[in-house]
Amino acid sequence: MKTCKDSIDVLLQYLDGELPAEDAAALESHLGCCTPCVEFLRTYRATTHLCKRALAQKMPESVTASLDAFLKERLGK
Amino acid sequence: MGERPAGLTFSRHGYPLAALPPESDARPLDGLLARAREGDLSAFEALVAATREQVYGLALRMMGTDADAAEVLQETYLSAYQGLSAYRGEAAFSSWVYRIAANHCLMRLRHRKVRAAAEDALAEPEYTPRGSLAGMPAEAWGRSAEDDALDAELRMAIQRATDALPEAHREVFLLKDVEGLSYEDIAGMLGDSVPAIKSRLHRARLSLREAIDRFYNEKGLQPGGQDGI
Repeated sequence: MKTCKDSIDVLLQYLDGELPAEDAAALESHLGCCTPCVEFLRTYRATTHLCKRALAQKMPESVTASLDAFLKERLGK
Repeated sequence: MGERPAGLTFSRHGYPLAALPPESDARPLDGLLARAREGDLSAFEALVAATREQVYGLALRMMGTDADAAEVLQETYLSAYQGLSAYRGEAAFSSWVYRIAANHCLMRLRHRKVRAAAEDALAEPEYTPRGSLAGMPAEAWGRSAEDDALDAELRMAIQRATDALPEAHREVFLLKDVEGLSYEDIAGMLGDSVPAIKSRLHRARLSLREAIDRFYNEKGLQPGGQDGI
């Protein structure tokens, strides 16, 4: 029987589909009887999505202008 | 320029010649690219306009300051222009220029060398002596947080938690989970093995998950609730 720690240690491989079938079955067996790990898996997956959205950046117009000026100067024309 | 990792071919300008696309294979910019390679500067400017937002976002996330990001942006497109004739076209232009930007960021970060590799800064789940989770994740934020609007405080908490990661973990997390590069590309760019990259990514995700969990615990917020995100 896997422990929570055993399960969490292999979550990345599991979500990447790279966990050997036997290990994946053991993990899924653990998830079937461990609510905290099910919630942990949900939050582990949600973390990537939340971070990607939280770290989105807009480019200021001033940067666009300075890039245009830089390229005109360096590339000629 | 730092040491170049094995497994990638680099031009004399420092950009990777064998880039892989992290996104669509549709190649909508190929027409512009063909004209740019023939010396059409307006076509190159159109390529810049089509990709600069994405490149700037990567540069700002990696470098942390507007000034550094703006400089990386300029260096990236100068390198791209200088490398057009050597660009073999295996990858979409956007993917190719994205990796040029990532390499410029990594070179600058290597020179900066301000972050200690403090792995003990990484938060991890708490376990009982028998290896069970010591507690339930806060609330049920994993269920709906992906779909809800982002609270400004949560956005700041995530920014702080990302900034607090050891540099080696922050780079991998940003390049893989935020920028969407492949493990193989990142391993090549950083000069590490794929298993090492995966190990750092997992620890970074765990640490960021703990930070978000702590946020929900401290705020007592439910995603999507009256006071939530």
